Formats: sequence, C-alpha cells, structure tokens
Amino acid sequence: MGPRVAFRAKQPSVGLSCQKCSSAPPPTIRSRVHEQELIGRVLAGDPNAERALYDAHVDRVFRLVYRMAGDLDRAQDYTQETFVKAFEKLREFRGEAALSTWLGSIAISITLNGLRKVRRTRDREVNLDDSPPVGRVDRHAEPDLKERLSRAIDDLPEGYRAVFVMHDVEGYTHQEIAASLGVHPGTSKAQLFRARARLRETLADFAKD
Amino acid sequence: MLDDRFDDQVRDAAREYNAPPPTPRDVMWERIVAARTGREADRRTEGQVDEKVRPFIRPVRPFARPSVRPLRWPIGIAALLAIGIGLGRLTAPGTETPVPPVVATLEAPQVNDVAYRLAATEHLSQSESFLTLFRASVRRGGSEQLASATARHLLATNRLLLDSPAASDGRTRLLLQDLELVLAQISQLSGRASAPDLDLITDGLEDSGVMSRLRTAVPSGTSTTQGVL
Repeated sequence: MGPRVAFRAKQPSVGLSCQKCSSAPPPTIRSRVHEQELIGRVLAGDPNAERALYDAHVDRVFRLVYRMAGDLDRAQDYTQETFVKAFEKLREFRGEAALSTWLGSIAISITLNGLRKVRRTRDREVNLDDSPPVGRVDRHAEPDLKERLSRAIDDLPEGYRAVFVMHDVEGYTHQEIAASLGVHPGTSKAQLFRARARLRETLADFAKD
Repeated sequence: MLDDRFDDQVRDAAREYNAPPPTPRDVMWERIVAARTGREADRRTEGQVDEKVRPFIRPVRPFARPSVRPLRWPIGIAALLAIGIGLGRLTAPGTETPVPPVVATLEAPQVNDVAYRLAATEHLSQSESFLTLFRASVRRGGSEQLASATARHLLATNRLLLDSPAASDGRTRLLLQDLELVLAQISQLSGRASAPDLDLITDGLEDSGVMSRLRTAVPSGTSTTQGVL
C-alpha cells in the first residue's frame, strides 16, 4: 500500500498576515461594510483610501503571485499590474464576492498569462533542456524532500499547480479558488485531488526511504 | 507512524514552495502610482485639443485602408450597369446564350455513321444519274437551264457531305471533291452555254473517271432514280 500523503494547509485562508515579511502590516479590512466604504472613497478620488486598499491586500496578492511565478521581478510586475488594473476596473466591482477574491482573480489571470508568455519566449530562444521551468526558483541541488516536492509541483500542469498552491500552500478555500479561476468549486476539488495524487506518485519512492 | 511523519515533512516542504520574500510594498506602490499617472496623462493628452484646431484634426490611422467613399458613386453606377446588361441579355428574345457547337467524338453513336453513309450513297446515286442525263442532254444539244439548278442543289448536298463523317473514308472524300468540281462547273452554266464549255465539262468527267467511280461507289439497286432511268 502506497504512502498516504495528505496536503493540508495549516494557514488561515483570509486575512493572512505574512509571517515572513515583518514590514507588512496586517490587513485592515475585516468587514464588507468597511470594504464598501473604502471602495467608495477610492472611487471618489481619495488617494489615502487607494493606499489603504493597496496595503490591505498587497501581501496576499504578492504571496500568491510569487508562489506561482517563483521570481521576484516577475512577482513585482504581476502584482503591480494587478493593482493598476484593479483601480481601473474598480467601478465594475459589484461586491458580489469579497474584494480579496476579486483581486485574486485578477492576480491569477495576469500571472498565468504572464507565465505563458515567458514560457513561449523561452521556448523560442533557448533549448528547453538548458533552462529551468517557469515558476521555479533557482535552488541548489538538494536531494531532500523540499527539493523533490518543489520540482514535482513545478512539473504539475498549470491548472493543477494553481489550485494546489492556492489551497494547500496559501490556504484559499475552494470557493475562493473557483471564483478566482472562473471554475466550479467541484472542479477545483477535482484538480486538487489529481494534483495531490500526482505528487504522491512522484514522491512514493521518497516515502519508502 | 512513518506515514504521519512523512505527511508532516511534505506539509512543511509544500509551505516553503517558492517561499515569498517580504513584500516590497513601497517600491511597488510607487510604480503603481507612476503607471496610473502616466496612463491618466495619456488619456488627458488625447482628450485635450484646442477648440480652434479640433475641426482640422483627423484621427491618425497608420495602417488604415484607403477610404472607398470617393469611389462610392462610380462603383454604384458600374454595378447598376452590369446588372442591367446582364438582365437584358437574359430576357431579350432570340438572344439566348449561344450553345457551344456539338463536337462529334469517338464515342458518338454508330448509327450516325451509317446514316451519313446512306445519305452519301443516295447523293452519289443521284449525282451519277444526273451526270448521265447531263451528258446525254449535251449530246442532244438540249437546254442546260434545268441542269444548272439541279447541279446547285446537288452541290450544296455535296459540300455538306464533305464536312460530314461520310467523308472520313478517303476514297469517298476524293470522289466527293472531284464531284464538287464538276457540279460547280455545271451550276455555273447559263441558258446559252457555249459548246466549248460543255465539252470541257464532259471531257473532265471522262478524264477524272468520275462516272466510273460513281458507278463503283454506288451499289446496284440503291438509286432512287434507277427505275426512272
């Protein structure tokens, strides 16, 4: 019988403060009322409200984008683009979902599109055998579980990787993932199940050791 | 127990997948503000135009196709003319689209060849009878007026047969060609033909052997005039 690996995030899903970024203040939006009020002020042209909205959500957006991109420059570019687009389209936000979910959908869309462009460019310019895959941080070769798991996650199909990172690494709920990716929550669950199965399969020999 | 320890290891490892550094929030915010300001400035520049200049400004479309507006009327008139001519040709009486000529092919029915051969035999038989009567008439010194008319009629048929499959046979074609010459001479005769002209024709008949070849070509009993003669 193979090893049963359960990937469960222990982190809280919403309102997560970045434990590794000490300078990041905790999100200030605790209620939808406050959120609507802040949006109203932003739409009225209040620059302080813009900064407050940005501060409230930038950590979560940046963390997700960085997890997917695995590169600081790209993560910054995609995060910036996310907020520029969000401020442009804020009038279209109807408040049906949480603002964090709406921002997450913009962020994941920009990130996945950006990574596809990078992959296409890389495919054209260099030999695939000589280049690391998109989204992989340059690490030293360590034959330990972290390294093996990182490589296995990198090798997941794009959709599986997004769902796995959002759920098991960043602690998003299936509802949030579904809203961000524009899929049904059942699809998100199915993709997570398959992603975990692939990782178990890849790491099976490691578990025996 | 071993599985649980492995699960914990995997959980920790997954949490450190692409572990993000501290969020460079100020750096990113400055860039966001700059980007938004730049876009806003672009929009304002596009919108801000001096009212005196505005009527003379046309939008710049570097790869726009040339406008077809100046050609609208000529194109419309040309289209109307083309439609009118087309309708006229279709509806005008007696001006139907010419039917392409039917070309006889190798696959043509066999019955056509037989029909042409029968027609040729009939024509040769009539010609042979006619020429026999003509020679007799010349000897008697009779009128060639009727002979000329009959010769024209036979000449027309002869030419049709020369252009038909009946002339595909070499011997028949040569006979028809010689016969054409004789018939043409006779058809040119007037009411007062001179003796030398008549002698020329009858000599030609003898020299070319048209009469004997006609008799050879025509099987016995085929001529419609045989009973008459």
